[in-house]
Amino acid sequence: MDVKFDRFASAAFLAVGVLFMIGSRKLASSSYGSSVGPDIFPFVLGLVLSLLSIRLFYEAFRGKGQESRKEKLQYKPFIIILLSTLIYILTLETIGYVITTFLFLLVCFQTMERNKWVTSLIISAGFSGIIYYLFVNVLKGTLPGWPIWFS
Amino acid sequence: MGTFDYLMHGFETALTWYNILFAFVGVLIGTAVGVLPGIGPMSGVALLIPVTASITGGLPPEQAATSAIILLAGVYYGAMYGGSTTSILLNTPGESSSVVTTLDGYQMAKKGRAGSALSISAIGSFVGGIVTLIAMIALAQPLSTIAIKFGPAEYFSLMLLGLAAVSGLAGKSVTKALIMTVCGLLIGTIGIDNVSGIARFTFDIPWLYQGVEFLTIAVGLFALGEVFKTILEKDEDDGEIAKINNLLPSKEEFKESAGPIARGSLLGFFVGILPGAGATLASFFSYLMEKRISKKPGRFGTGAIAGVAGPETANNAASGGAMIPLLTLGIPGSGTTAILMGALMMYNVQPGPLLFEDHPQVAWGLIASMFIGNLMLLILNLPLVKVFAKIIETPKKYLIPIIIAISIFGVYAVQVSTYDLLLLLGCGVLGYFLSKNDYPIAPLVLGLVLGPMIENNMRRALTISDGDYSLFFTRPLSLSFLIVTALWLLIPVLLKKRGKDVVINIEG
Repeated sequence: MDVKFDRFASAAFLAVGVLFMIGSRKLASSSYGSSVGPDIFPFVLGLVLSLLSIRLFYEAFRGKGQESRKEKLQYKPFIIILLSTLIYILTLETIGYVITTFLFLLVCFQTMERNKWVTSLIISAGFSGIIYYLFVNVLKGTLPGWPIWFS
Repeated sequence: MGTFDYLMHGFETALTWYNILFAFVGVLIGTAVGVLPGIGPMSGVALLIPVTASITGGLPPEQAATSAIILLAGVYYGAMYGGSTTSILLNTPGESSSVVTTLDGYQMAKKGRAGSALSISAIGSFVGGIVTLIAMIALAQPLSTIAIKFGPAEYFSLMLLGLAAVSGLAGKSVTKALIMTVCGLLIGTIGIDNVSGIARFTFDIPWLYQGVEFLTIAVGLFALGEVFKTILEKDEDDGEIAKINNLLPSKEEFKESAGPIARGSLLGFFVGILPGAGATLASFFSYLMEKRISKKPGRFGTGAIAGVAGPETANNAASGGAMIPLLTLGIPGSGTTAILMGALMMYNVQPGPLLFEDHPQVAWGLIASMFIGNLMLLILNLPLVKVFAKIIETPKKYLIPIIIAISIFGVYAVQVSTYDLLLLLGCGVLGYFLSKNDYPIAPLVLGLVLGPMIENNMRRALTISDGDYSLFFTRPLSLSFLIVTALWLLIPVLLKKRGKDVVINIEG
């Protein structure tokens, strides 16, 4: 357990709780035909969250300052995959499903383990092509297929 | 119509060709999910919701809901079968409910009895599944009749009880679990308020008006979170797969495991009904019980077949038992059932006492299909166990990126929005950090699903009583639910204070 994370998290949760309380003050306090408005439930929840986060802060503070376990985390592949997922998401609608998915899978396969280029190529192409074909032609769904300037 | 007629109609529904296919695909994927370490039943079901939603898109709404839930439930109980395979052959549990199976199962495999361990666990799972199904059929009608008399006050208190039960047992710290629950409830308030029609916490962003989509959050937190964990914490030590020799257990082994299977079914069923408990705890309790009543407790841990039969039966029975509060009361008792409930609600089918009246096709179709699904699993798992064992060898290299691609495809197919994809990615990162630091995720999803219903019932109750909060404490049933809620949260804290080990539920 990382005490630092808990302290940070308790501050963040406290902020969320307080913000929800402030936000719910701006809502109407009654609705038509009822004295109970849409504000009461989020307000109470915000209050409970704030109290719980104070409790969490206290617990983290009292915690015997356990050092976080030293693990060897694979940051490099994680960052690459995270970034390529982000680019994939952002370009999906403009470049279309087939090309982005193919590139995304290829990059990720090779990031996980750099070998077997041919297999990676076949699987990426197969996955993006088959999913697109099944979804659009068989199930009649909508997916942005090809680049917008293409069609 | 009596229960029997309903059940027969259920079988009619479940035996149409496409529902048989859906059940088959469900249990097949479920077994694979169970076998693969890294995706548990929760992320498996979450991942498949959008996929099934697009497959069933062409069917009429009621049939679509039936077929989808048949498939998703199949994944859920199929995973309970599959989880044992890796526990026995590799000493790595495929999901948390099979952790105890490693204790004796792997020892049996080392002694060359992998085949009997596997088949006993498949037979046990089958018996457990069927026993709970029969109990479910017997209990469904009476429970719904009781539940239908509940007013909004009772419902409010009962849902609080459900939330408290899951939070009290999930994860190491009750505080953290409660924080996650409240966060889920708060996320549930975003969007247009059902009662007054006011937009809450939307900051005038149209995308937020319909509320934060449950599906996006669930897939992100569970599936992507686990994927990121696998990428970051790559471990290379893949154990050697034990060989499977003779599949059929000997007569003595059958004799030895008959008792544990019978006890495991009952125990698992009752643990499963309890909100918050679930398959992991059931298998754990069953193991402890078998060890306690055994004449030779020393044999446990060295390859006693009772230590495989009991827990494997119990976890399957519990997964069936957990469906009962979901279907009859509309209260999911665990993370996976919360996801199933979210899936049903996506199809406008509200689980709860009215389910059996309003949507008999969905309810009884599901129950009947679980019979068929369990039978399929038994057939699949006995001769084909060697094939499934091969799934473990699927290289992570291909598996991980494909899971990401499926989650993105699924969420986009249902939501058609880049914002949802960004939220999905954000939830994935968040999910990894939260679960790494012992913040359980299941309570958040449960809160998100139950939040709007809790609020509605609370406000309806308060409107009836004209703003008088004492209502919740003066109605006897509501009061007793609230007392149990308080006890559920306080007792573990008190026990911990006294230095006792509290059993926690990792699966949630």
